[in-house]
Amino acid sequence: MAESRIRVRGLSKTYHVPERESGLVASLKSLVRRTYRDVEAVRDISFTVEAGEMVGFIGPNGAGKTTTLKMLSGLLHPTGGEAHVLGFVPWERKPEYLQQISMVLGNKSQMMWDIPPLDSFLVLGEIYHVAPGDLKHTLDELVELLEMQDLLTKPVRNLSLGERMKCELVAGLLHRPRVLFLDEPTLGLDISMQSRLRRFLAEYNRRSGVTAILTSHYMADVVALCPRVILIHRGQLLYDGELNGLAQRLAPFKLIRISLRDGSVGYDEDMSLPQGVDLVERENGRLTLRVSRAKAPSITAHLLNTLPVADLSVEDPPIEAVIDQIYQGGNV
Amino acid sequence: MSRWLNHRGGWALIRRTWLSWMQHRSFFFLLAFMWMIPPLVSLFVWSTAAGGATVGGINRGEFVAYYLVLILVNQLTYSQTNWTVGDVIRSGGMNTILLRPMSPIYDALASEIAGKVVYMVFVVPVSGILALILHPELHVTPRNGLAFVPALVLAWALRFFWGYWLALLAFWATRADALLSMQDSLTFLLAGQVAPTALLPGVMRQVATALPFRYMVGFPVEVLTGQLDGPELWTGYAFQTGWLLVAVILFLAVWRAGVTRYSAVGG
Repeated sequence: MAESRIRVRGLSKTYHVPERESGLVASLKSLVRRTYRDVEAVRDISFTVEAGEMVGFIGPNGAGKTTTLKMLSGLLHPTGGEAHVLGFVPWERKPEYLQQISMVLGNKSQMMWDIPPLDSFLVLGEIYHVAPGDLKHTLDELVELLEMQDLLTKPVRNLSLGERMKCELVAGLLHRPRVLFLDEPTLGLDISMQSRLRRFLAEYNRRSGVTAILTSHYMADVVALCPRVILIHRGQLLYDGELNGLAQRLAPFKLIRISLRDGSVGYDEDMSLPQGVDLVERENGRLTLRVSRAKAPSITAHLLNTLPVADLSVEDPPIEAVIDQIYQGGNV
Repeated sequence: MSRWLNHRGGWALIRRTWLSWMQHRSFFFLLAFMWMIPPLVSLFVWSTAAGGATVGGINRGEFVAYYLVLILVNQLTYSQTNWTVGDVIRSGGMNTILLRPMSPIYDALASEIAGKVVYMVFVVPVSGILALILHPELHVTPRNGLAFVPALVLAWALRFFWGYWLALLAFWATRADALLSMQDSLTFLLAGQVAPTALLPGVMRQVATALPFRYMVGFPVEVLTGQLDGPELWTGYAFQTGWLLVAVILFLAVWRAGVTRYSAVGG
Protein backbone atom coordinates (compact mmCIF):
# COMPACT_ATOMS: atom_id res chain seq x y z
CA MET A 1 0.00 0.00 0.00
CA ALA A 2 1.26 3.46 -0.84
CA GLU A 3 2.20 5.70 2.06
CA SER A 4 -0.43 8.15 3.30
CA ARG A 5 -0.29 11.59 1.72
CA ILE A 6 -0.56 13.29 5.09
CA ARG A 7 0.60 11.74 8.33
CA VAL A 8 0.29 13.70 11.56
CA ARG A 9 1.32 12.36 14.93
CA GLY A 10 1.02 14.10 18.28
CA LEU A 11 1.11 17.55 16.68
CA SER A 12 0.98 20.42 19.16
CA LYS A 13 1.35 24.16 19.01
CA THR A 14 1.56 26.52 21.94
CA TYR A 15 1.65 30.26 21.36
CA HIS A 16 3.51 32.45 23.78
CA VAL A 17 1.49 35.65 23.67
CA PRO A 18 2.08 38.95 25.45
CA GLU A 19 -0.79 39.97 27.64
CA ARG A 20 -1.87 43.21 29.19
CA GLU A 21 -5.00 44.85 30.44
CA SER A 22 -6.46 47.80 28.60
CA GLY A 23 -5.76 51.36 29.64
CA LEU A 24 -2.87 53.75 29.94
CA VAL A 25 -1.50 52.49 33.24
CA ALA A 26 -1.42 48.92 32.01
CA SER A 27 0.30 49.97 28.81
CA LEU A 28 2.99 51.81 30.80
CA LYS A 29 3.43 48.81 33.06
CA SER A 30 3.86 46.56 30.06
CA LEU A 31 6.74 48.74 28.87
CA VAL A 32 8.66 47.79 31.98
CA ARG A 33 7.56 44.26 32.50
CA ARG A 34 5.74 42.20 29.94
CA THR A 35 3.65 39.31 31.05
CA TYR A 36 3.12 36.35 28.80
CA ARG A 37 0.51 33.68 28.64
CA ASP A 38 0.78 30.30 26.96
CA VAL A 39 -2.07 29.48 24.63
CA GLU A 40 -2.36 25.86 23.56
CA ALA A 41 -3.77 26.24 20.06
CA VAL A 42 -3.32 22.61 19.05
CA ARG A 43 -2.90 19.73 21.48
CA ASP A 44 -1.53 16.38 20.51
CA ILE A 45 -3.56 15.65 17.39
CA SER A 46 -2.95 12.67 15.12
CA PHE A 47 -4.50 11.60 11.85
CA THR A 48 -3.66 10.41 8.36
CA VAL A 49 -5.11 11.36 5.01
CA GLU A 50 -4.89 9.08 1.99
CA ALA A 51 -4.37 10.06 -1.63
CA GLY A 52 -7.42 11.63 -3.23
CA GLU A 53 -9.32 12.12 0.01
CA MET A 54 -11.16 15.33 0.79
CA VAL A 55 -11.28 15.87 4.51
CA GLY A 56 -13.33 18.54 6.24
CA PHE A 57 -11.69 20.21 9.17
CA ILE A 58 -14.38 21.55 11.44
CA GLY A 59 -14.53 23.23 14.79
CA PRO A 60 -15.61 26.53 16.31
CA ASN A 61 -13.61 29.74 16.02
CA GLY A 62 -10.24 29.42 17.67
CA ALA A 63 -10.37 25.61 17.66
CA GLY A 64 -6.94 25.33 16.04
CA LYS A 65 -7.97 24.57 12.47
CA THR A 66 -5.98 27.29 10.75
CA THR A 67 -3.01 26.75 13.04
CA THR A 68 -2.95 23.10 11.99
CA LEU A 69 -3.19 24.00 8.31
CA LYS A 70 -0.40 26.54 8.72
CA MET A 71 1.82 23.89 10.26
CA LEU A 72 1.03 21.46 7.45
CA SER A 73 1.81 24.08 4.82
CA GLY A 74 5.09 24.97 6.50
CA LEU A 75 4.21 28.46 7.74
CA LEU A 76 4.39 27.52 11.41
CA HIS A 77 6.76 25.44 13.47
CA PRO A 78 4.98 23.09 15.86
CA THR A 79 5.95 22.96 19.52
CA GLY A 80 5.67 19.20 19.52
CA GLY A 81 4.88 16.15 17.44
CA GLU A 82 5.59 15.36 13.85
CA ALA A 83 4.01 15.61 10.44
CA HIS A 84 4.85 14.31 7.01
CA VAL A 85 3.14 15.50 3.87
CA LEU A 86 4.16 13.77 0.62
CA GLY A 87 7.11 12.47 2.60
CA PHE A 88 8.35 15.96 3.52
CA VAL A 89 8.49 17.66 6.88
CA PRO A 90 6.42 20.74 6.00
CA TRP A 91 8.14 23.36 8.17
CA GLU A 92 11.50 22.63 6.58
CA ARG A 93 9.90 24.48 3.65
CA LYS A 94 11.88 22.68 0.98
CA PRO A 95 11.16 24.15 -2.46
CA GLU A 96 10.46 20.61 -3.72
CA TYR A 97 7.69 20.42 -1.12
CA LEU A 98 6.23 23.88 -1.71
CA GLN A 99 6.17 23.08 -5.42
CA GLN A 100 3.68 20.26 -4.81
CA ILE A 101 1.26 21.87 -2.39
CA SER A 102 -1.05 24.81 -2.35
CA MET A 103 -2.64 26.75 0.46
CA VAL A 104 -5.64 28.88 -0.41
CA LEU A 105 -6.44 31.31 2.35
CA GLY A 106 -9.89 32.87 2.04
CA ASN A 107 -8.64 36.14 3.49
CA LYS A 108 -5.20 36.43 1.88
CA SER A 109 -4.37 37.13 -1.69
CA GLN A 110 -1.95 35.85 -4.27
CA MET A 111 -3.26 38.32 -6.79
CA MET A 112 -1.74 41.67 -7.54
CA TRP A 113 -4.28 44.39 -7.05
CA ASP A 114 -3.69 46.60 -10.06
CA ILE A 115 -3.23 44.17 -12.89
CA PRO A 116 -5.58 41.66 -14.51
CA PRO A 117 -5.64 38.13 -13.04
CA LEU A 118 -4.22 36.69 -16.24
CA ASP A 119 -0.92 38.52 -15.64
CA SER A 120 -0.69 37.17 -12.10
CA PHE A 121 -1.45 33.66 -13.37
CA LEU A 122 1.35 33.86 -15.92
CA VAL A 123 3.81 34.93 -13.21
CA LEU A 124 2.74 32.02 -11.01
CA GLY A 125 3.26 29.70 -13.97
CA GLU A 126 6.84 30.95 -14.18
CA ILE A 127 7.45 30.71 -10.43
CA TYR A 128 6.24 27.11 -10.40
CA HIS A 129 8.01 26.26 -13.67
CA VAL A 130 4.86 25.15 -15.44
CA ALA A 131 5.48 24.53 -19.14
CA PRO A 132 3.57 27.10 -21.25
CA GLY A 133 1.49 24.39 -22.95
CA ASP A 134 0.49 22.82 -19.62
CA LEU A 135 -0.26 26.23 -18.17
CA LYS A 136 -2.62 27.07 -20.98
CA HIS A 137 -4.31 23.70 -20.73
CA THR A 138 -4.78 23.94 -16.95
CA LEU A 139 -5.89 27.54 -17.14
CA ASP A 140 -8.46 26.75 -19.83
CA GLU A 141 -9.80 23.88 -17.78
CA LEU A 142 -10.07 25.88 -14.55
CA VAL A 143 -11.56 28.91 -16.26
CA GLU A 144 -14.18 26.75 -17.88
CA LEU A 145 -15.04 24.94 -14.64
CA LEU A 146 -15.40 28.22 -12.78
CA GLU A 147 -17.10 30.05 -15.65
CA MET A 148 -14.82 33.06 -15.41
CA GLN A 149 -13.71 33.79 -18.98
CA ASP A 150 -14.69 37.43 -18.73
CA LEU A 151 -12.76 38.07 -15.51
CA LEU A 152 -9.30 37.35 -16.84
CA THR A 153 -8.57 40.78 -18.24
CA LYS A 154 -10.18 43.03 -15.62
CA PRO A 155 -7.94 44.55 -12.95
CA VAL A 156 -8.31 42.57 -9.73
CA ARG A 157 -9.41 45.63 -7.76
CA ASN A 158 -12.53 45.84 -9.94
CA LEU A 159 -13.60 42.27 -9.13
CA SER A 160 -16.19 41.31 -6.54
CA LEU A 161 -15.33 39.18 -3.52
CA GLY A 162 -16.63 36.00 -5.15
CA GLU A 163 -14.81 36.74 -8.38
CA ARG A 164 -11.59 37.28 -6.49
CA MET A 165 -12.06 33.97 -4.69
CA LYS A 166 -12.37 32.23 -8.05
CA CYS A 167 -9.07 33.84 -9.03
CA GLU A 168 -7.45 32.69 -5.78
CA LEU A 169 -8.52 29.13 -6.51
CA VAL A 170 -7.12 29.26 -10.02
CA ALA A 171 -3.90 30.77 -8.66
CA GLY A 172 -3.65 27.96 -6.13
CA LEU A 173 -4.26 25.20 -8.64
CA LEU A 174 -2.27 26.32 -11.69
CA HIS A 175 0.75 24.22 -10.77
CA ARG A 176 -1.45 21.18 -10.21
CA PRO A 177 -0.63 20.65 -6.55
CA ARG A 178 -0.89 17.13 -5.19
CA VAL A 179 -2.02 18.37 -1.79
CA LEU A 180 -4.36 21.28 -1.27
CA PHE A 181 -5.12 23.17 1.94
CA LEU A 182 -8.24 25.28 1.74
CA ASP A 183 -8.91 27.68 4.58
CA GLU A 184 -12.45 29.06 4.42
CA PRO A 185 -12.67 29.06 0.62
CA THR A 186 -16.30 30.22 0.61
CA LEU A 187 -15.94 32.93 3.26
CA GLY A 188 -18.27 35.83 2.60
CA LEU A 189 -19.74 34.47 -0.63
CA ASP A 190 -23.41 34.38 -1.52
CA ILE A 191 -25.30 31.10 -1.61
CA SER A 192 -25.11 30.52 -5.35
CA MET A 193 -21.41 31.38 -5.51
CA GLN A 194 -20.80 29.00 -2.61
CA SER A 195 -22.55 26.16 -4.34
CA ARG A 196 -20.75 26.86 -7.59
CA LEU A 197 -17.37 26.73 -5.82
CA ARG A 198 -18.39 23.50 -4.11
CA ARG A 199 -19.32 21.92 -7.42
CA PHE A 200 -16.02 23.10 -8.80
CA LEU A 201 -14.00 21.64 -5.93
CA ALA A 202 -15.81 18.32 -6.10
CA GLU A 203 -15.30 18.12 -9.84
CA TYR A 204 -11.67 19.16 -9.58
CA ASN A 205 -11.04 16.55 -6.91
CA ARG A 206 -12.65 13.88 -9.08
CA ARG A 207 -10.64 14.85 -12.16
CA SER A 208 -7.25 15.47 -10.60
CA GLY A 209 -7.28 13.15 -7.60
CA VAL A 210 -5.92 15.95 -5.44
CA THR A 211 -5.74 15.31 -1.71
CA ALA A 212 -7.40 18.14 0.18
CA ILE A 213 -8.08 19.39 3.67
CA LEU A 214 -10.74 22.05 3.89
CA THR A 215 -11.80 24.22 6.79
CA SER A 216 -15.11 25.96 6.70
CA HIS A 217 -17.71 27.44 8.95
CA TYR A 218 -20.38 26.54 6.45
CA MET A 219 -21.50 22.99 7.14
CA ALA A 220 -22.95 22.90 3.64
CA ASP A 221 -19.38 23.03 2.29
CA VAL A 222 -18.41 20.07 4.38
CA VAL A 223 -21.58 18.10 3.66
CA ALA A 224 -21.17 18.62 -0.07
CA LEU A 225 -17.46 17.91 -0.31
CA CYS A 226 -16.14 15.84 2.54
CA PRO A 227 -17.21 12.26 3.21
CA ARG A 228 -14.85 12.39 6.16
CA VAL A 229 -14.57 15.05 8.83
CA ILE A 230 -12.09 15.80 11.56
CA LEU A 231 -13.60 17.76 14.40
CA ILE A 232 -11.31 19.73 16.64
CA HIS A 233 -12.28 21.79 19.61
CA ARG A 234 -9.98 23.72 21.92
CA GLY A 235 -7.04 22.28 20.05
CA GLN A 236 -8.04 18.67 20.60
CA LEU A 237 -9.25 16.13 18.11
CA LEU A 238 -12.76 15.07 19.12
CA TYR A 239 -13.85 13.05 16.15
CA ASP A 240 -12.36 11.61 13.00
CA GLY A 241 -14.61 9.64 10.70
CA GLU A 242 -17.57 9.74 8.38
CA LEU A 243 -19.76 12.78 8.48
CA ASN A 244 -22.85 10.60 9.00
CA GLY A 245 -21.18 8.87 11.87
CA LEU A 246 -20.67 12.18 13.60
CA ALA A 247 -24.39 12.65 14.05
CA GLN A 248 -24.92 9.06 15.05
CA ARG A 249 -22.20 9.10 17.59
CA LEU A 250 -22.50 12.55 18.92
CA ALA A 251 -26.21 13.27 18.86
CA PRO A 252 -27.94 11.16 21.48
CA PHE A 253 -31.35 11.72 19.93
CA LYS A 254 -33.36 11.16 16.75
CA LEU A 255 -36.10 13.17 15.12
CA ILE A 256 -39.43 11.56 14.37
CA ARG A 257 -41.52 13.39 11.79
CA ILE A 258 -45.17 12.51 11.55
CA SER A 259 -47.90 13.65 9.18
CA LEU A 260 -51.39 12.94 10.44
CA ARG A 261 -54.33 11.94 8.26
CA ASP A 262 -56.51 14.81 7.08
CA GLY A 263 -59.22 15.83 9.52
CA SER A 264 -57.90 13.67 12.30
CA VAL A 265 -57.20 15.09 15.69
CA GLY A 266 -53.56 14.90 16.68
CA TYR A 267 -51.90 15.61 19.93
CA ASP A 268 -53.63 18.70 21.15
CA GLU A 269 -51.83 21.23 23.20
CA ASP A 270 -53.23 19.78 26.37
CA MET A 271 -52.46 16.18 25.51
CA SER A 272 -49.41 14.86 27.17
CA LEU A 273 -46.68 13.21 25.16
CA PRO A 274 -45.20 9.87 26.14
CA GLN A 275 -42.33 10.25 28.55
CA GLY A 276 -38.99 11.05 26.93
CA VAL A 277 -40.54 12.73 23.90
CA ASP A 278 -40.07 16.44 23.19
CA LEU A 279 -42.22 18.29 20.75
CA VAL A 280 -39.93 20.31 18.50
CA GLU A 281 -42.45 21.66 16.03
CA ARG A 282 -46.11 21.30 15.09
CA GLU A 283 -47.67 22.73 11.99
CA ASN A 284 -50.83 21.79 10.08
CA GLY A 285 -51.03 18.26 11.32
CA ARG A 286 -47.31 17.66 11.04
CA LEU A 287 -45.29 16.99 14.14
CA THR A 288 -41.58 16.85 14.74
CA LEU A 289 -40.60 15.00 17.90
CA ARG A 290 -37.23 14.48 19.53
CA VAL A 291 -36.59 11.21 21.28
CA SER A 292 -33.56 9.53 22.70
CA ARG A 293 -31.79 7.26 20.26
CA ALA A 294 -32.38 4.16 22.39
CA LYS A 295 -36.08 4.73 22.77
CA ALA A 296 -36.76 5.61 19.12
CA PRO A 297 -38.01 2.15 18.05
CA SER A 298 -40.45 1.67 20.95
CA ILE A 299 -41.80 5.20 20.73
CA THR A 300 -42.25 4.88 16.98
CA ALA A 301 -44.30 1.73 17.53
CA HIS A 302 -46.34 3.45 20.20
CA LEU A 303 -47.08 6.42 17.94
CA LEU A 304 -48.12 4.19 15.05
CA ASN A 305 -50.54 2.38 17.34
CA THR A 306 -52.11 5.42 18.94
CA LEU A 307 -52.24 8.03 16.20
CA PRO A 308 -53.85 8.28 12.73
CA VAL A 309 -50.44 8.43 11.03
CA ALA A 310 -50.32 9.14 7.30
CA ASP A 311 -46.56 9.27 7.09
CA LEU A 312 -43.70 8.76 9.53
CA SER A 313 -39.96 9.07 9.27
CA VAL A 314 -37.13 8.68 11.75
CA GLU A 315 -34.09 10.84 11.05
CA ASP A 316 -30.80 11.95 12.45
CA PRO A 317 -30.89 15.57 13.49
CA PRO A 318 -29.46 18.08 10.98
CA ILE A 319 -25.72 18.23 11.17
CA GLU A 320 -25.80 21.93 12.08
CA ALA A 321 -27.75 21.14 15.21
CA VAL A 322 -25.26 18.46 16.23
CA ILE A 323 -22.29 20.70 15.59
CA ASP A 324 -23.88 23.57 17.45
CA GLN A 325 -24.46 21.32 20.42
CA ILE A 326 -20.82 20.23 20.42
CA TYR A 327 -19.45 23.74 19.93
CA GLN A 328 -21.51 24.99 22.84
CA GLY A 329 -21.02 22.04 25.10
CA GLY A 330 -17.35 21.60 24.34
CA ASN A 331 -17.33 17.86 24.75
CA VAL A 332 -18.56 14.74 23.09
CA MET B 1 19.19 24.90 -2.09
CA SER B 2 19.57 25.34 -5.81
CA ARG B 3 15.81 25.29 -6.22
CA TRP B 4 15.61 28.46 -4.15
CA LEU B 5 17.34 30.22 -7.02
CA ASN B 6 14.49 30.65 -9.39
CA HIS B 7 15.51 33.23 -11.97
CA ARG B 8 12.64 32.39 -14.26
CA GLY B 9 10.11 33.14 -11.55
CA GLY B 10 12.13 36.14 -10.38
CA TRP B 11 12.15 37.72 -13.79
CA ALA B 12 8.40 37.16 -14.10
CA LEU B 13 7.91 38.87 -10.73
CA ILE B 14 9.92 41.86 -11.90
CA ARG B 15 7.78 42.24 -15.00
CA ARG B 16 4.58 41.88 -13.00
CA THR B 17 5.67 44.42 -10.39
CA TRP B 18 6.70 46.82 -13.10
CA LEU B 19 3.34 46.45 -14.89
CA SER B 20 1.56 47.06 -11.62
CA TRP B 21 3.64 50.10 -10.75
CA MET B 22 3.27 51.69 -14.13
CA GLN B 23 -0.41 51.96 -13.20
CA HIS B 24 0.66 54.39 -10.50
CA ARG B 25 3.47 56.11 -12.33
CA SER B 26 2.35 59.59 -11.32
CA PHE B 27 2.69 58.60 -7.66
CA PHE B 28 6.20 57.30 -8.22
CA PHE B 29 7.12 60.33 -10.30
CA LEU B 30 6.02 62.48 -7.38
CA LEU B 31 8.19 60.45 -4.99
CA ALA B 32 11.14 60.76 -7.35
CA PHE B 33 10.56 64.51 -7.51
CA MET B 34 10.53 64.73 -3.70
CA TRP B 35 13.81 62.86 -3.48
CA MET B 36 15.39 65.30 -5.93
CA ILE B 37 14.67 68.35 -3.79
CA PRO B 38 17.37 68.11 -1.06
CA PRO B 39 20.23 67.59 -3.55
CA LEU B 40 18.82 70.40 -5.70
CA VAL B 41 18.83 72.75 -2.73
CA SER B 42 22.45 71.81 -2.03
CA LEU B 43 23.26 72.31 -5.72
CA PHE B 44 21.95 75.88 -5.69
CA VAL B 45 23.58 76.73 -2.34
CA TRP B 46 27.03 75.47 -3.31
CA SER B 47 27.05 76.74 -6.87
CA THR B 48 26.00 80.17 -5.61
CA ALA B 49 28.65 80.04 -2.87
CA ALA B 50 31.31 79.21 -5.44
CA GLY B 51 30.24 82.09 -7.70
CA GLY B 52 33.05 82.86 -10.09
CA ALA B 53 35.68 81.27 -7.81
CA THR B 54 36.03 77.87 -6.10
CA VAL B 55 35.11 76.35 -2.71
CA GLY B 56 37.55 73.71 -1.52
CA GLY B 57 38.94 73.54 -5.04
CA ILE B 58 35.53 72.94 -6.67
CA ASN B 59 34.09 75.56 -9.05
CA ARG B 60 30.46 76.34 -9.87
CA GLY B 61 30.19 74.06 -12.90
CA GLU B 62 31.78 71.21 -10.97
CA PHE B 63 29.28 71.61 -8.14
CA VAL B 64 26.47 71.43 -10.69
CA ALA B 65 27.99 68.28 -12.18
CA TYR B 66 28.54 66.73 -8.73
CA TYR B 67 24.93 67.27 -7.68
CA LEU B 68 23.35 66.24 -10.98
CA VAL B 69 25.29 62.96 -10.83
CA LEU B 70 24.33 62.67 -7.16
CA ILE B 71 20.63 63.03 -8.04
CA LEU B 72 20.94 60.07 -10.42
CA VAL B 73 23.02 57.98 -8.02
CA ASN B 74 20.69 58.76 -5.14
CA GLN B 75 17.69 57.57 -7.12
CA LEU B 76 19.45 54.47 -8.37
CA THR B 77 20.62 53.41 -4.92
CA TYR B 78 17.59 54.50 -2.90
CA SER B 79 15.85 51.37 -1.70
CA GLN B 80 12.17 52.13 -1.54
CA THR B 81 11.51 48.40 -1.07
CA ASN B 82 12.68 48.60 2.51
CA TRP B 83 9.74 50.80 3.40
CA THR B 84 7.23 48.10 2.47
CA VAL B 85 8.90 45.17 4.26
CA GLY B 86 7.31 46.11 7.58
CA ASP B 87 3.85 46.34 6.02
CA VAL B 88 4.26 42.96 4.36
CA ILE B 89 5.19 41.40 7.70
CA ARG B 90 2.39 43.07 9.64
CA SER B 91 -0.34 42.46 7.06
CA GLY B 92 0.34 38.75 6.74
CA GLY B 93 1.60 39.14 3.17
CA MET B 94 4.66 37.23 4.34
CA ASN B 95 2.53 34.07 4.24
CA THR B 96 2.14 34.30 0.48
CA ILE B 97 5.85 34.91 0.05
CA LEU B 98 6.89 32.04 2.32
CA LEU B 99 4.59 29.60 0.51
CA ARG B 100 6.33 30.11 -2.82
CA PRO B 101 9.02 27.66 -3.91
CA MET B 102 11.57 30.44 -4.33
CA SER B 103 13.78 32.63 -2.20
CA PRO B 104 11.84 35.58 -0.73
CA ILE B 105 14.67 37.90 -1.81
CA TYR B 106 13.19 37.81 -5.32
CA ASP B 107 10.19 39.80 -4.16
CA ALA B 108 12.41 42.54 -2.83
CA LEU B 109 14.62 42.50 -5.92
CA ALA B 110 11.57 42.59 -8.16
CA SER B 111 10.23 45.75 -6.58
CA GLU B 112 13.76 47.26 -6.50
CA ILE B 113 14.38 46.73 -10.19
CA ALA B 114 10.85 47.58 -11.25
CA GLY B 115 11.02 50.73 -9.13
CA LYS B 116 14.32 51.87 -10.64
CA VAL B 117 12.93 51.63 -14.13
CA VAL B 118 9.85 53.68 -13.23
CA TYR B 119 11.91 56.37 -11.45
CA MET B 120 14.44 56.64 -14.24
CA VAL B 121 11.67 57.35 -16.73
CA PHE B 122 11.16 60.55 -14.74
CA VAL B 123 14.60 61.41 -13.38
CA VAL B 124 16.72 61.05 -16.50
CA PRO B 125 14.80 63.55 -18.64
CA VAL B 126 14.50 66.00 -15.74
CA SER B 127 18.25 65.81 -15.02
CA GLY B 128 18.91 66.25 -18.73
CA ILE B 129 16.88 69.46 -18.81
CA LEU B 130 18.62 70.74 -15.66
CA ALA B 131 21.99 70.00 -17.28
CA LEU B 132 21.01 72.04 -20.34
CA ILE B 133 20.07 74.99 -18.13
CA LEU B 134 22.83 74.83 -15.51
CA HIS B 135 25.90 73.93 -17.61
CA PRO B 136 27.72 71.33 -15.52
CA GLU B 137 31.45 70.81 -15.96
CA LEU B 138 31.96 67.09 -16.13
CA HIS B 139 34.98 65.49 -17.76
CA VAL B 140 34.56 61.75 -17.46
CA THR B 141 37.82 59.92 -18.11
CA PRO B 142 37.69 56.26 -19.17
CA ARG B 143 39.29 55.35 -15.81
CA ASN B 144 36.64 57.20 -13.81
CA GLY B 145 33.85 55.91 -16.01
CA LEU B 146 34.99 52.30 -15.54
CA ALA B 147 35.61 52.73 -11.81
CA PHE B 148 32.13 54.26 -11.40
CA VAL B 149 30.23 51.12 -12.45
CA PRO B 150 31.34 48.79 -9.63
CA ALA B 151 31.17 51.67 -7.14
CA LEU B 152 27.53 52.28 -8.14
CA VAL B 153 26.55 48.61 -7.99
CA LEU B 154 28.19 48.15 -4.60
CA ALA B 155 26.55 51.35 -3.36
CA TRP B 156 23.11 50.06 -4.33
CA ALA B 157 23.75 46.65 -2.73
CA LEU B 158 25.05 48.26 0.46
CA ARG B 159 22.12 50.65 0.77
CA PHE B 160 19.64 47.89 -0.05
CA PHE B 161 20.93 45.33 2.46
CA TRP B 162 21.56 47.94 5.15
CA GLY B 163 17.98 49.15 4.90
CA TYR B 164 16.67 45.61 4.58
CA TRP B 165 18.11 44.36 7.82
CA LEU B 166 16.77 47.41 9.61
CA ALA B 167 13.36 46.89 8.02
CA LEU B 168 13.31 43.23 9.06
CA LEU B 169 13.34 44.32 12.69
CA ALA B 170 9.60 44.69 12.03
CA PHE B 171 9.44 40.98 12.91
CA TRP B 172 9.90 42.13 16.52
CA ALA B 173 8.99 45.81 16.69
CA THR B 174 5.93 47.27 15.04
CA ARG B 175 7.56 50.57 14.13
CA ALA B 176 10.90 49.58 12.64
CA ASP B 177 10.27 52.30 10.03
CA ALA B 178 11.70 54.86 12.44
CA LEU B 179 15.12 53.29 11.93
CA LEU B 180 14.75 53.74 8.18
CA SER B 181 14.03 57.42 8.69
CA MET B 182 17.19 57.64 10.76
CA GLN B 183 19.16 55.97 8.01
CA ASP B 184 17.79 58.55 5.56
CA SER B 185 18.84 61.41 7.85
CA LEU B 186 22.33 60.03 8.30
CA THR B 187 22.61 59.49 4.58
CA PHE B 188 21.60 63.09 4.03
CA LEU B 189 24.26 64.34 6.44
CA LEU B 190 27.14 61.95 5.86
CA ALA B 191 26.77 60.57 2.35
CA GLY B 192 27.78 63.68 0.44
CA GLN B 193 24.32 65.17 0.04
CA VAL B 194 24.45 68.20 2.29
CA ALA B 195 28.02 68.77 1.11
CA PRO B 196 30.62 66.71 -0.74
CA THR B 197 32.51 64.64 1.84
CA ALA B 198 35.75 66.45 1.03
CA LEU B 199 34.20 69.72 2.20
CA LEU B 200 32.99 68.44 5.57
CA PRO B 201 34.82 69.87 8.61
CA GLY B 202 37.62 67.72 10.11
CA VAL B 203 36.02 65.29 12.55
CA MET B 204 32.86 64.96 10.52
CA ARG B 205 34.87 64.06 7.47
CA GLN B 206 36.63 61.29 9.36
CA VAL B 207 33.32 60.01 10.72
CA ALA B 208 31.77 60.12 7.24
CA THR B 209 34.71 58.24 5.77
CA ALA B 210 34.48 55.48 8.35
CA LEU B 211 30.69 54.95 8.44
CA PRO B 212 28.79 53.11 5.69
CA PHE B 213 26.64 56.02 4.49
CA ARG B 214 29.16 57.74 2.21
CA TYR B 215 29.54 54.45 0.33
CA MET B 216 25.83 54.37 -0.43
CA VAL B 217 25.74 57.63 -2.41
CA GLY B 218 28.72 60.01 -2.23
CA PHE B 219 31.52 57.63 -3.11
CA PRO B 220 30.37 56.69 -6.64
CA VAL B 221 29.69 60.37 -7.35
CA GLU B 222 33.21 61.33 -6.24
CA VAL B 223 34.57 58.55 -8.45
CA LEU B 224 32.75 59.74 -11.58
CA THR B 225 33.50 63.41 -11.03
CA GLY B 226 37.20 62.61 -10.64
CA GLN B 227 37.66 63.79 -7.03
CA LEU B 228 39.63 60.72 -5.95
CA ASP B 229 43.20 59.66 -6.63
CA GLY B 230 44.31 56.03 -6.92
CA PRO B 231 44.83 55.18 -3.23
CA GLU B 232 41.59 56.97 -2.24
CA LEU B 233 39.72 54.95 -4.83
CA TRP B 234 41.00 51.62 -3.55
CA THR B 235 40.42 52.57 0.09
CA GLY B 236 36.90 53.51 -0.89
CA TYR B 237 36.25 50.16 -2.55
CA ALA B 238 37.65 48.41 0.51
CA PHE B 239 35.33 50.28 2.86
CA GLN B 240 32.39 49.71 0.53
CA THR B 241 33.01 45.97 0.26
CA GLY B 242 33.65 45.64 3.99
CA TRP B 243 30.41 47.41 4.93
CA LEU B 244 28.52 45.41 2.32
CA LEU B 245 29.73 42.19 3.93
CA VAL B 246 28.62 43.46 7.32
CA ALA B 247 25.22 44.39 5.91
CA VAL B 248 24.71 41.01 4.22
CA ILE B 249 25.72 39.13 7.37
CA LEU B 250 23.34 41.22 9.46
CA PHE B 251 20.60 40.72 6.88
CA LEU B 252 21.02 36.94 6.88
CA ALA B 253 21.13 36.74 10.67
CA VAL B 254 18.08 38.96 11.17
CA TRP B 255 16.18 37.19 8.38
CA ARG B 256 16.77 33.73 9.86
CA ALA B 257 15.90 34.81 13.38
CA GLY B 258 12.89 36.72 12.06
CA VAL B 259 11.43 33.84 10.07
CA THR B 260 11.98 31.50 13.01
CA ARG B 261 10.11 33.92 15.21
CA TYR B 262 7.40 34.45 12.60
CA SER B 263 6.85 30.71 12.30
CA ALA B 264 6.72 30.46 16.07
CA VAL B 265 4.09 33.13 16.62
CA GLY B 266 2.22 33.07 13.32
CA GLY B 267 1.33 35.81 10.89
